[in-house]
Amino acid sequence: MEKVITMEKNEVPFEEYLAPGHRACTGCGEMLAVRLIAKTLGDDVIIANATGCVEIVSSPLPTTSWRVPWIHTLFENTSAVASGIEAGMKAMTRKGRYSRKTKVVAMGGDGATADIGIQSLSGALERMHEFIYICFDNEAYMNTGVQRSSATPFGASTTTSPAGKQSIGQMTWKKNLPAIVAAHDIPYVATACPSYPLDMINKVEKAMKVKGPAYIHVLSVCPTGWHSQSNATINLGRLAALTGIFPLYEIEQGRYKLNVDPAQLSPIEEYTKLQGRFRHLPPEVLASIQERVTDEYVKLKKKAAEV
Amino acid sequence: MVKNRVSMEGSLAVAEAAKLARTDVVAAYPITPQTHIVERLAQLVADGELDANYIPVESEHSAMSACLGSSAVGARTFTATAGQGLELMHEVLFVASSSRLPIVMVVANRALSGPLSVWGDHSDVMAARDCGWIQIFAENVQQAFDLVICAFRIGEDPTVLFPVMVNIDGFHLSHVIEPLYLLCQEEVDKFLPPYKYPYALNPDKPVSIGAFGMPNIYTEAKKSQDMALRASKNVILKTWQEFGKLSGRNYLPVETYKVEDAEVLLLTMGSFSETAMIAIDALRERGEKVGLIRLRLWRPFPLEEFQKAVAKAKLIIVLDRALSFGRPTGPVCSEVQAALYPLKTKPEIVSFVGGLGGRDISAATFENIIRNGMEKAKSGRFDELEMIEVRQ
Amino acid sequence: MKDTTIEIRWHGRGGQGAVTSAELIAMAAIAEGEYAQAFPSFGPERRGAPVLAFNRIDNANPIRARSSVINPDIVAVLDPGLLYITDVVSGLKQNGTLIVNSPKSLVDIKSEFGGPWKLAVVNATAIARELLGVNIVNTTMLGAVVKATGIIKMESLVEPIEERFGARAKRNIDACAKAYKEAEIAEPVAVRARQKREFQVEKWPAWQELLPGCVVIEAGSASQYRTGDWKSQHPESDYSKCIKCGLCYIYCPEGCIVPKLGEEGFFEADMYYCKGCGICAQECPKDVITMVEES
Ligand SMILES: Cc1ncc(C[n+]2csc(CCOP(=O)(O)OP(=O)(O)O)c2C)c(N)n1
Ligand code: SF4
Ligand code: SF4
Repeated sequence: MEKVITMEKNEVPFEEYLAPGHRACTGCGEMLAVRLIAKTLGDDVIIANATGCVEIVSSPLPTTSWRVPWIHTLFENTSAVASGIEAGMKAMTRKGRYSRKTKVVAMGGDGATADIGIQSLSGALERMHEFIYICFDNEAYMNTGVQRSSATPFGASTTTSPAGKQSIGQMTWKKNLPAIVAAHDIPYVATACPSYPLDMINKVEKAMKVKGPAYIHVLSVCPTGWHSQSNATINLGRLAALTGIFPLYEIEQGRYKLNVDPAQLSPIEEYTKLQGRFRHLPPEVLASIQERVTDEYVKLKKKAAEV
Repeated sequence: MVKNRVSMEGSLAVAEAAKLARTDVVAAYPITPQTHIVERLAQLVADGELDANYIPVESEHSAMSACLGSSAVGARTFTATAGQGLELMHEVLFVASSSRLPIVMVVANRALSGPLSVWGDHSDVMAARDCGWIQIFAENVQQAFDLVICAFRIGEDPTVLFPVMVNIDGFHLSHVIEPLYLLCQEEVDKFLPPYKYPYALNPDKPVSIGAFGMPNIYTEAKKSQDMALRASKNVILKTWQEFGKLSGRNYLPVETYKVEDAEVLLLTMGSFSETAMIAIDALRERGEKVGLIRLRLWRPFPLEEFQKAVAKAKLIIVLDRALSFGRPTGPVCSEVQAALYPLKTKPEIVSFVGGLGGRDISAATFENIIRNGMEKAKSGRFDELEMIEVRQ
Repeated sequence: MKDTTIEIRWHGRGGQGAVTSAELIAMAAIAEGEYAQAFPSFGPERRGAPVLAFNRIDNANPIRARSSVINPDIVAVLDPGLLYITDVVSGLKQNGTLIVNSPKSLVDIKSEFGGPWKLAVVNATAIARELLGVNIVNTTMLGAVVKATGIIKMESLVEPIEERFGARAKRNIDACAKAYKEAEIAEPVAVRARQKREFQVEKWPAWQELLPGCVVIEAGSASQYRTGDWKSQHPESDYSKCIKCGLCYIYCPEGCIVPKLGEEGFFEADMYYCKGCGICAQECPKDVITMVEES
């Protein structure tokens, strides 16, 4: 039996499959998420990792941080690599050359998932490969120095959506990737954040049980790209959920369910004021963001109310 | 040995070879003129004649990426593409070779856009020549079949571990029906041991594939890859020898035709070589000392064999079926020049380019090329490539 | 031709702005009519990790060298902790200059890091905290570097700092000036002070040692890397208040807080890996953990 740590009556697996000594920034929320998810996935897993922060900080040749089988190839193709792993394993199992029930997991940043890799992701989901895709959404291309992605939120200043005299930063609203994924009619879609570790662990466990593809979209606070304090990482993730900016929900067989549903949403300023990327925003822009966040949250609640 | 003589289209012969190799995974995306290969494989899987997983991926980029995954997990993996498809794979090709994953791929060679052309030439493979794969050219349907079977054994050899690309000319080979001697399953099973990737992704022994390289290690990584690719030639030679014993059909890195006393050598690659033989025969009958030389193995470049094969010639006439825009010669010709430059006495070299985008080259044209080349040599005109049969 | 180039190596941490220091010096030197170069060393290391930046300055000839600086004339260390984890004087020229940011006195630093080089010490962190409100010492340190080396004139820094910092320029110029005033300088001594600590050296394999595809077969081998070197503060615990909830264990991005499964069962951070992010201290519901500056 694996050693387990009991927290608030929930069991957290003890073993670490991402070794310490990785080179992520101090206070990186993305690596925290990876660490907790790797714990939950356990040792019977094969991970395909897209190019990006996670890959770079965890695999400096001639060493690796990984204690489970892991492959990185390119930036935009991770779902396809996972498809190949899954198909290869199936063929070998059928032919008696593979006997485990190994879980195939693909992971990538928001750039790897929502932008350059959305085609291969869509292909793999549509083909219904049995794998879990985990998107670590730190809301920009961080590995290359904080350039905007389609998951960068409205108003955020990045190096390619900079705030300036004629610009308030990112001028587009965050792409709703979980909805796009859900439109593939896959059995399980969820959003998560390591600030709610037990919720996230629970979702990974669910994803491991479904037949067919599962998708988890993890908000990953990035102190470097968000210009926030390294000790604020957990708090920011919490505020993202409590303000409704990044609601935590799951879509099981098409049914929405909110997992963190505050009676009253906190004002978004509580979240934005802690981050340099929003510092330039004038009150009227913040107000328009607030309006949109509230509207979207109402829509989401309606979906969750449907049975 | 029972000679199982059938008639078969080139594409189906390739599919048959992949089937006899007991391929575990096929990941492919259709493109003319490769389509018959993958359609056939899909059908074989659908009919239960091939026990494999066919992944109908959404692009060639994903085709090669899925191949990376399945090969890395330890499954024997096959794919095929052509032209634009090979270009879309380009980025992934380098990862397949640097990760040392022995995927086998048939390229039904096709021209590159634009203008769009679905017809054959060697532009696609020439643009991929530096991707680190073992690259082999077939000249007829039989060779396509044989070389695909050999490709698995070469690539998967534990001292090799490289992906292998078998080039067959689009349409000229992919769509031609010819007689073919098949091998039976037992023969192939005996020749080709089961695939066992020594560093397969497996929780029993976790490995990391594709870690990143800082400046302190990247050069060593490339050195190790390049040395291994060069060393693979020995295994290629040995494999072809053993295949010869099994089938009676022998393959060499540099193939020759009527070269014994030849002063003038024509150099070709791929299916046009057999047409060129007709021209050689005709010229020989008229007393010309001409011969034909073909590069079967393109990567690793068979330097020694090549130097030896051409040592006694006075003139080499290279026919390229691709352009290297703005370069003095075609891509194969420039490698021929580089290969011979270190020799003290070396033949002169002239460069022709033709057969682009499906344009035929007849035996008569080959005769013209040779005569024209000899003229040029006589008058000392070695300057730039000449495009043949181009409307003025 | 006489070598007229002066080379500087900056030691900082990712996010601390060592690259900015180098850039400002180069801009100032160029404005003075000299030839100059500033460039970073690129690596995957992130915020908190030790990083390098370089300068070349030449008052006579254009600079052609583009390789890293191996034998600097001047070494500037932006973070006190770096002195104990990297050999900052590596390659430093005879009679070169070492400038360090440290709260320690000149005498103390000299006893640890003195040698055949001029030594300058300034408490740049204190100055930056006081005048800028943050522990970013890139502009502050420039004052000490100029005082110790005279490589450029103080006035020449004004314009580059204004250009870079806009509204915040004034405060940065003040911090720089204060460091100029406060930096203490000692002349070279013949013998190098005894080395106290072994530095982390990374070992690089020969090409023959690499496996096909550079596959890595030692699972988790990156754990030999001491990310603990990155921290500028560390957590200290008062276990009398600890309720063993395990939140610090869960939230540590490094996975370096381990439950001591022995009698006590408290959670303890492994300083070999701790990067000093402060998350454990922030999230502890009972304020067991406080962050303490490295000295
Ligand atoms: C084809 C290609 N284009 C661009 C890049 C450069 N690149 C590497 S990682 C990256 C950004 C990664 O962003 P994301 O996926 O959001 O992950 P993060 O680093 O933020 O975790 C980019 C643009 C690349 N490696 N390959
Ligand atoms: S840039 Fe952001 S996501 Fe990347 S390692 Fe640093 S904190 Fe983590
Ligand atoms: S400060 Fe605490 S949470 Fe941060 S790395 Fe150190 S032990 Fe982990």
